[in-house]
Amino acid sequence: MNTELAAAAAAARHRKVRRQRVRGLTRHAVLLTWTAIIAFPLFWMISTSFKDAGEWVAWPPHWLPNRPTLHNYAQIFAFGALDPTLSRQATEQAFTIWKGLGDAVVVCTTASLLALLLGTFLAYAISRFKVGGPYFRHTILMIRMIPPIVVAISILIYYAIIIPYATSALLGVRISLFDTYLGLILIYAVTTLPFVIWMMLTFIDEVPYTLEHAARLMGARRFQIIRRVVLPLVASGMVVTFLFVFILNWAEFLLALTLTHPEVTTLTVLLNKFQSASEGRLYGPQAAIGTIVTIPVVVLGLLIQKHLVKGFSFGTIRK
Amino acid sequence: MAEITTNVAIGAADVGRRRIYRRLARWLGSDRIFPLIPFVLVECLIILTVLVPFVLTIWISLLKWRANRPFETAQFTGLENYAAVLATDQFWLALGRTFYFAGVAVALELCIGFVLAMLVSRCTRSRKFYTTLFLAPMMIVPIVVGYNFSMIYIDSGPLNQLLAPFIEHFGIDPRIRWLSHPIAAQWAIIIADVWQWTSLTFLIFLSGFAALPRQLVNAARVMGASPWQTFWRIELPLLKPAIVIAIIIRSMEALKLFDPVVLLTFGGPGTSTQTVAYFLWEQVWVFNKFSFGAAASILLLFIFSFLIFFGVYMLVSQRRAVEGDTP
Repeated sequence: MNTELAAAAAAARHRKVRRQRVRGLTRHAVLLTWTAIIAFPLFWMISTSFKDAGEWVAWPPHWLPNRPTLHNYAQIFAFGALDPTLSRQATEQAFTIWKGLGDAVVVCTTASLLALLLGTFLAYAISRFKVGGPYFRHTILMIRMIPPIVVAISILIYYAIIIPYATSALLGVRISLFDTYLGLILIYAVTTLPFVIWMMLTFIDEVPYTLEHAARLMGARRFQIIRRVVLPLVASGMVVTFLFVFILNWAEFLLALTLTHPEVTTLTVLLNKFQSASEGRLYGPQAAIGTIVTIPVVVLGLLIQKHLVKGFSFGTIRK
Repeated sequence: MAEITTNVAIGAADVGRRRIYRRLARWLGSDRIFPLIPFVLVECLIILTVLVPFVLTIWISLLKWRANRPFETAQFTGLENYAAVLATDQFWLALGRTFYFAGVAVALELCIGFVLAMLVSRCTRSRKFYTTLFLAPMMIVPIVVGYNFSMIYIDSGPLNQLLAPFIEHFGIDPRIRWLSHPIAAQWAIIIADVWQWTSLTFLIFLSGFAALPRQLVNAARVMGASPWQTFWRIELPLLKPAIVIAIIIRSMEALKLFDPVVLLTFGGPGTSTQTVAYFLWEQVWVFNKFSFGAAASILLLFIFSFLIFFGVYMLVSQRRAVEGDTP
């Protein structure tokens, strides 16, 4: 009797274990399928970046390059005259990455720093003094919600026509913000400001006010309090915010495409030039640029992974 | 003697200047003035780069003007441009298409993201591995994503090769023209969007699952609730804020859809993948119809402003529900 019961219990346990194992396997099967879906385009990009011109569109497609080559990378990193052994198409369209990389770094860094400084300062004022009324932090969100194309047209007209028109009438000098670093930096700073304010608000709200109060009682001035008490406590938050905003600016395309044409070229615009190249698409160099553009951003993004949800959800979700 | 007096005078001037600086610093640091400094700076920046252009756009939308003529010769035409936009079928079709893309893409992203987050949150050892991997697409520059897909979608590309064994059974030509068939092109764009932005919904749901109070779920289980019941009666209601937020944030972004359209299809074939952002861009950049574009963008902003307001309102109310305090 007892042995029968024990056997039944063992069988039940066995069934349960097996059910759990089946469930675990299905779970991993689903997750691995999605992993494959995620990895597929990335794998294809990296693989193509090592392919020779003849292999870009071969049928059946070559999953791994038959003859791996670094020509694509050589081409995008080339200085001045190109190596004549590169493919004919490539030599005809002497695109190099340096201009785009330099412009993107200059614009994104400056704009992110500007937004970070202004945004942190304002976030501090909002958090401590309720400046702009209780709903100011929400109204500033609306800037982010406006579709950029709507703003882009206004700003294009403003930069390219109104400002030159006004300055030549008033000052006698024709100044245009169209296709300048300053113009792009200003608009990037404004569009990322809501993110900075929201992320910094969550960090600054966590700094206890009593600390500042104590410092004040001990005779510290406002700027001393900020430098010695507040800044050290939110410094790591500022780094995270900076990286987040930098990634956003780095990825921005529409505004850069609209507000710059021949002179300032960020990486995204450069990549698009390859895509619309008239003499067939240069898949190889494009894949090489894509790889180069992707690596730093993914690394930075994974560094601040924990805080991403804060930025994207405007503090609506606690992590 | 004279030297000493001048030295003293310089010293006095120096002290005076320093005193002025100190007083200025104290004034700037006072409770009344200090918070206004960043406020005024930011407001000035916003007024200069967003508000002034916006007002000017309204003015330009009332003129009859194309960029190939000098600005001075533009004539005032009143609301003619608005009438022209409203009478353009392409504008309405593009708007409808934008909502269609946004609806389908966001629905798919929500479902996939939810399932993935649920499965990952049940993992123990491999959770970090999956999280890291699944978040990667979000950080990749959208233009690179568009470009990657443009390569995968080539007629003789890897996607068609992968699909060929499944499709050939049904007698369909395995060389699907992903980017030059109207319906396939629409799905091509939706797939690219889903590939990239499922990671965001996944992230939101994952943090939602992580924040679930374990005691509640365990208590329900102890009281004999089946996993199915626990999910529907306890977990899902608790996840409602996360779901609302994911819907709002993704819809807002999906309505801006532009990058993949430019990279993959240029709005084609025909106009079958033109979103409203692409339509506006084309009107202004390709056809130079500035005042038409200005009128269309004002109308668009008007249409979207309800959504923007509703979205911000929902975000605020959800935030309050999560935090349980005043803003």
